[in-house]
Amino acid sequence: MSEYDPLEGLRPAPVKQDFSQPFWEGAAQGKFLLQYCPDSGKYQFYPRPVSVQTGKRNLEWREVSGRGTVYSHTVTYRSPIPVKGIKPYIVALVELEEGVRVMANLVGCAVDAVKIGMAVKLAWVKAGEDNFPAFEPA
Amino acid sequence: MPQRDIAIIGASEVKIELRSGRTTYELAGEAMAGALASAGLEKHEIDGMAVTTCFSDAGNPFYSPILSAYLGLQLDWCQTTDLGGAGASGSVARAAMAIRAGLCHTVLVLSADAQSTTNRGDIQGFRGEFQYPVGIMGPPGYFGLLSNRYDHQYGLDPRALAKLAVTQRDHALLNPLACDKLRKPLTEAEYLASPMISHPIRMLDCVMVADGASACIVTSTERAKALGVKRMAHPIGYGERVNHLETENCPDITRVGHEAAGAKALAGAGMQIGDIKQFHPYDDFIIAIMLQMEGLGFCKPGEGCRYIMEHDFHFNGDLPLNTGGGQISAGQAGLAGGAHNLTEALRQLFGEAGERQVKDNANAMVTGIGWIPYGRNWGSSTVLVLEAA
Repeated sequence: MSEYDPLEGLRPAPVKQDFSQPFWEGAAQGKFLLQYCPDSGKYQFYPRPVSVQTGKRNLEWREVSGRGTVYSHTVTYRSPIPVKGIKPYIVALVELEEGVRVMANLVGCAVDAVKIGMAVKLAWVKAGEDNFPAFEPA
Repeated sequence: MPQRDIAIIGASEVKIELRSGRTTYELAGEAMAGALASAGLEKHEIDGMAVTTCFSDAGNPFYSPILSAYLGLQLDWCQTTDLGGAGASGSVARAAMAIRAGLCHTVLVLSADAQSTTNRGDIQGFRGEFQYPVGIMGPPGYFGLLSNRYDHQYGLDPRALAKLAVTQRDHALLNPLACDKLRKPLTEAEYLASPMISHPIRMLDCVMVADGASACIVTSTERAKALGVKRMAHPIGYGERVNHLETENCPDITRVGHEAAGAKALAGAGMQIGDIKQFHPYDDFIIAIMLQMEGLGFCKPGEGCRYIMEHDFHFNGDLPLNTGGGQISAGQAGLAGGAHNLTEALRQLFGEAGERQVKDNANAMVTGIGWIPYGRNWGSSTVLVLEAA
């Protein structure tokens, strides 16, 4: 636990899907990779076995900016993570410039400072041993 | 023209209890026996079963055949419906299809779960990979995201939500089958003061998971008449939407699948929303009721709070709503909770709701909500219109 990230050291390790492998390999190198469907010109997140637009498997992995805005947020007072004395923390739905939403913790932000529309940027945190996407005020 | 060839002829609900210590099979047995008694039917008349999934026996890949064996049922059609809280209304529609297709003639529609006693659920996929690591507090967290966005777009009046919470609690006080732990009077002030779970979702916005079961019996109207059944309800309209707006990457998360499911159900019933005499919406969270009111057309998007403040949803009010207490005040019997409002609607349509009986019970709308996708509104939406006969 830290001021910056109340969930530091507490996030469970992600249980990965086989088709998500490039995402986690990119994350390990500090690269935020999303699936991109060239047929529709759209990104998608979370990773899927097919394009959700076309149903085809014609998907690329592209590195994205990590810049976005807060679409919505909630401050969590009763955590599902079984740790006593955990401090309230922010879960945000962040809309990336590339037109997808990512659900992530907002770190380095007081719980009463989060606002819909605020600009945020990617900040890697740890889930188990893995790099995991979070955001902080831009 | 709505079809009145299918009839629901009996309904039963087991008393909702917290950590009852009972099993799914025990609860299911009590529900089936009650439904048979309600219909005045012998067990051998049942030749089909549609059962909703449950948390208490979730690891069992042979759930419906094993359950039917416990119940002593020989079946010509047997299926499990895994639409979560939309499963009960979905099962009625599936039963009607199976009867119309000639696969069977009399279906036991059953929901049982002892989630507060035993929970064997293990939901992975995107949840294990991208949801659990962010520590969102499950459904209350998701409804926190929905609520804050709604507030941003339209303004959210907590007093309107309190009004629904208090109305449903008043109804639970009149329902002896509601969970005893919840059968205590509730005031607006108590609702507003209840602790935050995931802002702005309060404790009293949420369901309390418990144990319970419900069952109803669906057959053809022709057969019901031949059996001499005196009172019945026809399912005259149904709509279902799974993964509303799925291919939109950035949908308005205040929009619900009931927009589509409701339009289809009303068209089938040959009705307008204003024709609905009583409303039994799925209620996992208080705001879900309001979002359904908007999606179904009781009022426009963003007008839910005003609409709530202008109407009386008591059993003797202008739009009776969840007259059994809803899941929030009767208790959520795990994944069987979606059958609570269906069973209450049937009791009302049969004229068997006791001291909370609504005056005009000509019809009822029942809805279902099931599961929560990643960063979106809920995933399954069902709408069932029932008519008394």
